[in-house]
Amino acid sequence: MSTSAENENPDTATPEARGLSQGQLVRKRFFGHTAAVISMFVFAGIVILAFTSVGYAGIPGWYQWNYIETPPIQGRGEPTWELPFDFGQHPFGQDSVGRDMFAMTMRGAQLSLIVMFIIGALGGILGVIIGGVSGYFRGWVEAVLMRLTDTVIIIPLIILAAVLGTISQTMTGRGTIANAIFGGSDGVVLLGLFVGVIIWTGLARLVRGEFLSLREREFVDAARIAGASDRRIIFKHILPNAVGVIIVNTTLVMASAILLETALSFLGMGVQAPDVSLGSLISDNQQAFTTRPWLFWWPGLFIIAICLSINFIGDGLRDAFDPRQKKFRAKKAKDTRASSSAEAKA
Amino acid sequence: MVTYIVRRLVTAVLILLAASFLVYLLTAASGDPLQQYRQSSLPNKEQLIQQRIQLLNLNTPAPLRYFDWLGGAAGCLIPFAAECDLGKSIQGIEVTTLLARAMGQTIQLVTAATILAIIIGIALGIITALRQYSGLDYGVTFMAFLFFSLPIFWVAVLLKEYGAIGFNNFLNQPNIGLSAMGIIGLVAGFICYLVPKSGVKRKLIAAAIGFVAAVALCWYLDISGWFLTPGFGAIGVALMGVAAAYLVTVLTAGLRNRKALYSALITVGLGMIAYFAIQPLLDLATILMIIILGVGAVLVGVAVGYLMGGFDRRQSMNAAGLTAFLMGFVILLDRYMQEWPEYFNNSRIGGRPIATIGSSTPNLEGNFWIAGLDIFTHLLLPTIALMLISLASYSRYSRASMLEIMNQDYIRTARAKGLTERTVVMRHAFRNALIPLATLVAFDIGALIGGAIITEAVFAFSGMGQLFVDALNAVDPNPVMGVFLITGILAMTFNLVADLIYSVLDPRVRVKA
Amino acid sequence: MRFGRTSKAVGTAAIAALALSACASTEGGGGGDSTEGGSQASGGNTSVTVAEVNQFTSFNSNSATGNVDINGTIEYLTQWDFNYLTNDLELKRREEFGTYKKLSEDPLKIKYTINEGVVWSDGTPIDAGDLMLAWAVQSGHFDDAKTNDAGDVVSGTNYFSYAGSTSGLGLTDVPEIGDDGRSITMTYSKPYADWEIAFGVGLPAHVVAKGAGLKNEQALTDLLLSAPEGDPENPKKRPKLKKVANFWNTGFDTTTFPSNKGLTLSSGPYMVESMVPDRSMTLVRNPEYDWGPEPKIDEIVIRYIPESPSQVQALQNGEVDIIAPQASGDIKASLEQLSGFKMLTGQMLSFDHIDLKYGGVFKDVDVRKAFMNTIPRNQIVQSTIAQVIPDAKPRDSHVFDMGTPGYKASVKVNGSENWQEVDIQKAKELLNGRTPKVKIMYNADNPNRVDAYTLIAESAEKAGFNVVDGGLPGNKWGAALTAGGWDATIFGWISDGVGVTGVPQLYGCGSASNFTGFCDEKAQQAMDELIVTTDPQKQQELKITVDKRLFETGYGLPLFQSPGIIAYNDKLKGIEFMGNQTGVWWNFWEWEVAK
Repeated sequence: MSTSAENENPDTATPEARGLSQGQLVRKRFFGHTAAVISMFVFAGIVILAFTSVGYAGIPGWYQWNYIETPPIQGRGEPTWELPFDFGQHPFGQDSVGRDMFAMTMRGAQLSLIVMFIIGALGGILGVIIGGVSGYFRGWVEAVLMRLTDTVIIIPLIILAAVLGTISQTMTGRGTIANAIFGGSDGVVLLGLFVGVIIWTGLARLVRGEFLSLREREFVDAARIAGASDRRIIFKHILPNAVGVIIVNTTLVMASAILLETALSFLGMGVQAPDVSLGSLISDNQQAFTTRPWLFWWPGLFIIAICLSINFIGDGLRDAFDPRQKKFRAKKAKDTRASSSAEAKA
Repeated sequence: MVTYIVRRLVTAVLILLAASFLVYLLTAASGDPLQQYRQSSLPNKEQLIQQRIQLLNLNTPAPLRYFDWLGGAAGCLIPFAAECDLGKSIQGIEVTTLLARAMGQTIQLVTAATILAIIIGIALGIITALRQYSGLDYGVTFMAFLFFSLPIFWVAVLLKEYGAIGFNNFLNQPNIGLSAMGIIGLVAGFICYLVPKSGVKRKLIAAAIGFVAAVALCWYLDISGWFLTPGFGAIGVALMGVAAAYLVTVLTAGLRNRKALYSALITVGLGMIAYFAIQPLLDLATILMIIILGVGAVLVGVAVGYLMGGFDRRQSMNAAGLTAFLMGFVILLDRYMQEWPEYFNNSRIGGRPIATIGSSTPNLEGNFWIAGLDIFTHLLLPTIALMLISLASYSRYSRASMLEIMNQDYIRTARAKGLTERTVVMRHAFRNALIPLATLVAFDIGALIGGAIITEAVFAFSGMGQLFVDALNAVDPNPVMGVFLITGILAMTFNLVADLIYSVLDPRVRVKA
Repeated sequence: MRFGRTSKAVGTAAIAALALSACASTEGGGGGDSTEGGSQASGGNTSVTVAEVNQFTSFNSNSATGNVDINGTIEYLTQWDFNYLTNDLELKRREEFGTYKKLSEDPLKIKYTINEGVVWSDGTPIDAGDLMLAWAVQSGHFDDAKTNDAGDVVSGTNYFSYAGSTSGLGLTDVPEIGDDGRSITMTYSKPYADWEIAFGVGLPAHVVAKGAGLKNEQALTDLLLSAPEGDPENPKKRPKLKKVANFWNTGFDTTTFPSNKGLTLSSGPYMVESMVPDRSMTLVRNPEYDWGPEPKIDEIVIRYIPESPSQVQALQNGEVDIIAPQASGDIKASLEQLSGFKMLTGQMLSFDHIDLKYGGVFKDVDVRKAFMNTIPRNQIVQSTIAQVIPDAKPRDSHVFDMGTPGYKASVKVNGSENWQEVDIQKAKELLNGRTPKVKIMYNADNPNRVDAYTLIAESAEKAGFNVVDGGLPGNKWGAALTAGGWDATIFGWISDGVGVTGVPQLYGCGSASNFTGFCDEKAQQAMDELIVTTDPQKQQELKITVDKRLFETGYGLPLFQSPGIIAYNDKLKGIEFMGNQTGVWWNFWEWEVAK
């Protein structure tokens, strides 16, 4: 790594020479990835828009309608947004009962984002714990945990989604504790929890592999000889080195979580009406594809935007955590050499 | 090695047992099997409910019913046992029959899409890796992520609207308008603009060539009425053969290897003779004949390469063999196209060839070629839809893998030896980049047999996914368990296969006994 | 050496040539010929392709396993009966096929006769043996099973798993066979209101006899005539009858074209010619058929397409000619955009309604009526079915289907005029400051019910109700219907459009489909009389009484009859809308392809 670094683009070569910390390096590389940075802003924008516009958990938003109100339908419910800034009463249009499409899309985005974060967080935590423990301690712990992983991996997701309906019947709904905690989105939280509980398997395998190779490395041996506890070795020495794999894969899981929720909605196993998610909006409105396209396109655009930005952020993180990928430049190697020599002259 | 496999198999059986028990309980808990009768106002509702309770044995607790089922299913796990009883569905059909049929449909649906996604995905991944952070790389990455982000039923609706209904309307009046030609030209120009490695001037020239070529092609197709009577003709076949010969030579041996180029070109010549010679034979084609002809063509190509000899015989043989295969493929395509008008005007087709549903036109009678075209027109849209969404993972993984390989020391060594870039990429990097993909491919194939639930639903294929979802909705455990058993066994098997392949391909990996 | 190689090559080529000619296709003379044959086969003939949602599973649509709508459709196409229902809900007799006559009113005595010369498609005459088998199945005469509370059979046997009702023919004793061998006469032990639709011909007895291992049809008839009536107190083993029943129950289940042609026998205009599992089914003319109207289409192809948007696109792409997609405003609008296709809309014989529990928060009739005053029926109709049928109106009767003569008569007197408009003020008065908590249960996967719930909840809260959303997913809400845990529920009933015995099923005290606990003395009296009344005029009066009591006691409100859509290629003629489960098929013999 160090020898070829001189041939590298001077931008990255210099700070490495300056001895920046791992975190600084990662941040620097990440912000060098244009697509990822743009995506991060887009994603942050969507999150802010979704949660401030229609409000969340009883906190009112700045938008005039909510997703349940049924104001009178104007015309056929067409969007009233005229470019560029004349939004009108219902910028995204209205559905057949008159509900405002912007409010519904925003509510849908909220729920889709919540599902995504829960799946990401739960899947990530479980994956890291199970993968890490089995990779570090090995022996019978590993055997048991890995067989558990194998078992969970072959249980079809939609069976769980179907069972979820039965359970959410008793555990959620107005007046239950779950409802009070999650501000009316308890059904969706449960969906996220269920999916999260079985989606960790892929990450667990990766993390285990990473731990297996890291625990044999010299610096871990050194720490062990110096008398470090297991906990210290795991948290101080191994985990920071595996964080790249974890973060990258968690983002990818989150991106596919959104699509998973859409697929479940298509099968009628997603969010329950009258609540809405982006997935349930487009699958309920697919008949309107040719006749009232706004019912279909707005939520669809948000799905794509969220999914794309998460993917690009994941891509940027991958490049940032894995500097090896940045080194190879088939043709540019020559150009870089030329430019760095030019720079040296200057 | 053998102990390792045996041990893995034993654990696999245990895991399957545990998982199947769980799945059975979950299925039983997932809903109300009497749902269909609850809303019924039939006078004999009670009686129907009793019948259903007896049929599904609902008064026995689910854990006990599982062992009933297991008793029958155990027969299937023992190889060569005559007894394989997976029970019956609510409609009284043997689950084994249902599974066999559903699997057939699913395999028909996903095979072409999977193969294409793997080939195109890997090719894109390699190319984008070689042009990392170029316009092409960003473009392909963006498109791959975009397709990945699209919900598949949305893609399906769009494809049906424009790819089938729109295209069929177009075929009834196949005139490409000027503006359409312009747009096609611009798109082609833009793609060509991304291709050259660097230099604005070169990019612009490429874009111009792309634009002109695309517009000219459109114009030719338009005035020659190609859409109604397609075909390459002898000249087209020859041109494509020569192009294939050059391309194959570039990839396998490099143009500097004249012997390889000449053997490829000779193969094209032989192919042209065969093109005229076998036309009457092709009228009587069967699938077996096509396979034999294909194998024969490759053998002829290899023989030509062998006879041409040269310092590296294998390169000539590879180049000529591959060219022969491609040539055969072009001839096959040409023959299908010749049959197109016949198919198009068939009264069952009625001038609307591209289908939106199912896998064949009912009661369509015709020879091998008509049947082939019918399968093609039905599988076209679902294949595109499935392929687009699975492109992303293949292209991203192969890109990452290729990038990692290109940084290895031995690649630098190869370059230092003075090998050409082509040899470095094709011989040293490409092959090793494929190794980690073996795992991915193995997993994917295992998962795909499980069915593409939504694609099946939208395109009215009743494959494994559909069977699974329908049974789950009816809370009918036997078909659910049948599908689960197949997917579970496949997942286990491919998991094992992936590990074994890995250890064979990558000598650094050893399986521990 | 060189020479050897060449000769080897020649040898290989010769073997290859042999192999190729061996595996060449032998049908037809060449590509051109065989395809020409293909287009000819369909060129001169008229063919119609119809999309259906479910897949065919059985030739016996009356068995427990075969009781699926598509199987019933195939039966309708291939098996003629004594009567059929028109789209005016009028029962029409098929006199060319067979006749039935009421010989006496009390005791009720009916004689069924098959016309001479009417045969199954294998040439075997349809006769009293077939009628006897049908009677044995539909009467449940031989069943001697006893079941415990859990539904398990503790002793005896239920022979035929008949999916229809045995309550009608169960009242009859073993029929007498007429001297002509083509007729039977049944005697009811007490009058039965729905006698006219109680009996149908069903499956060929000679095929069942053979399938059960009996010598011939006569042997089966003798068996049925000689076997004593089943007595649950004193069950007997009857292995021969059990075999017959077993074959009847499951022998006709198949998803592939059966090797036993007997299963596919037809007594109607069409017979099944081929089946491709999970994909399609082809019916052609029955060559033996000459009783009744001659169909104008030579071939009917049924393709299975579950998704409604896929059906529309398949119609648009010419892959199917007739579709009956799930009706919605969007489907209608997208069909309207197409040219070259025609669309029919109408109201189905199923209706959505909101029912209130007689108990809990609704124990007080004032609370019930207050709630009913808040239900915005017009607005619900506007936002749901009016998208399909612009001039649709709310349904004003619990018991009568819209468009029937009884409906008009009942609406005048049943008290429905009190609930035409939302009256929040009146609701508040009735509530008198109370804020009852109402949990409304509905199927959250059905968009119309979600819309109805949304509107009702909004309106009811204005009057002071505290509405709790009890929506459940599509596979869960049905269980909750019987389980309870709700105060009000929105769901639908499906009606056959004919017969009256369904009324006590829904509104009788303690009936299995009475989920609200409605039990009213006057209504119950009327219903008890209804099921033994055969006079249509009297039947109507009794039904009006029930309807009136439902409104008076605050049962809830009927909302609307669901809309239906049929769309077809405009090269077809003679297609008409039909609201019951037979749907578009009801007059298939009148379909025609315009030249």
